[in-house]
Amino acid sequence: MMLDDGVHDEELRQAAQRLGAAAAERVDVERTAEAVLARLRAGDAPARSRIRWIQPAWLRAAAVVVLMIGVGTLLVHRFNPPTVSDRRAARAAGGEIGDMSSGQLQTVLAALDEPAEMPAVHAAEAGLEDLTESQLQSLLRTMEE
Amino acid sequence: MAPAEPALAPAEDAQLIAAWQAGDERAAAELVRRHARAVARFLVGAGAPDADLDDLVQETFIRAFRAVATFRSQCQFRTWLLTIAGNALKDLGRRLARRRVVPLDERLESKDGDPHERTVAGETEERLRRGLTRLPRMQREVFLLRAQQGLEYGEIAAALDTTPGAARVHYHHAVKRLKEWLK
Repeated sequence: MMLDDGVHDEELRQAAQRLGAAAAERVDVERTAEAVLARLRAGDAPARSRIRWIQPAWLRAAAVVVLMIGVGTLLVHRFNPPTVSDRRAARAAGGEIGDMSSGQLQTVLAALDEPAEMPAVHAAEAGLEDLTESQLQSLLRTMEE
Repeated sequence: MAPAEPALAPAEDAQLIAAWQAGDERAAAELVRRHARAVARFLVGAGAPDADLDDLVQETFIRAFRAVATFRSQCQFRTWLLTIAGNALKDLGRRLARRRVVPLDERLESKDGDPHERTVAGETEERLRRGLTRLPRMQREVFLLRAQQGLEYGEIAAALDTTPGAARVHYHHAVKRLKEWLK
């Protein structure tokens, strides 16, 4: 096709193909490749994406820790059973007292209320060998009743 | 119409893209080597100032590599690159306009470069360069993709998100106006 002014389609196309050819030849493709890679390595986009992913990770970890502490505390308070030794001690004390008659309990209480009749014995030194003969006999009588 | 620079086999580019996505920087470098000059020619045709040409080429590849996951092979990788180059040039124009250092039209018609080359360059070529800056962006890019890069209308349409028929119309409008200005 040719217009009246003489400009061919082909001429236009060839001019378009020449357009920028010299400038393109001046582009140092190796240097361009190196610069592109350097800018990609130092780019802020990957850093932003890292931050985006780290933040939820930290939040998730913190949430898990808080949840574990909460659940643990709840379980300790709700389901903490008495230890075996605690149970044995309670059973033993309850059993001995429960086995006593009302008379025996009154005698024991009376003995406890009359410390002045016994020689003062320091708690740390208290023992059967420290009791006098009369005290031992009194204790034995109480236990035999 | 034979392309000025024959497009490389899409499969080869696809392999390099996959390698880059897997972290192989050599693949990215090879893609730059293959397409940098075509991108530069397109940018010059679209009115890129010579002084900003290197930066624009780099910016084009950086944008492409960062967004390569969005490339669905709807067109050739080079064609996709050229559309990114067009966007990079448009963004440069906006930045220059905001700075108001040099009026955009004057900047895009910059006379930078080797004066000797400009002297020997054909008058038609120089007038074409000026004429292209006066075209609407779509007409300019369709004309360059068709006349300079030798692409088919279907490929152009896929790259510019339009139809082949619309691309053909844009091309003919561009040719008609350019011929009027080249009289």
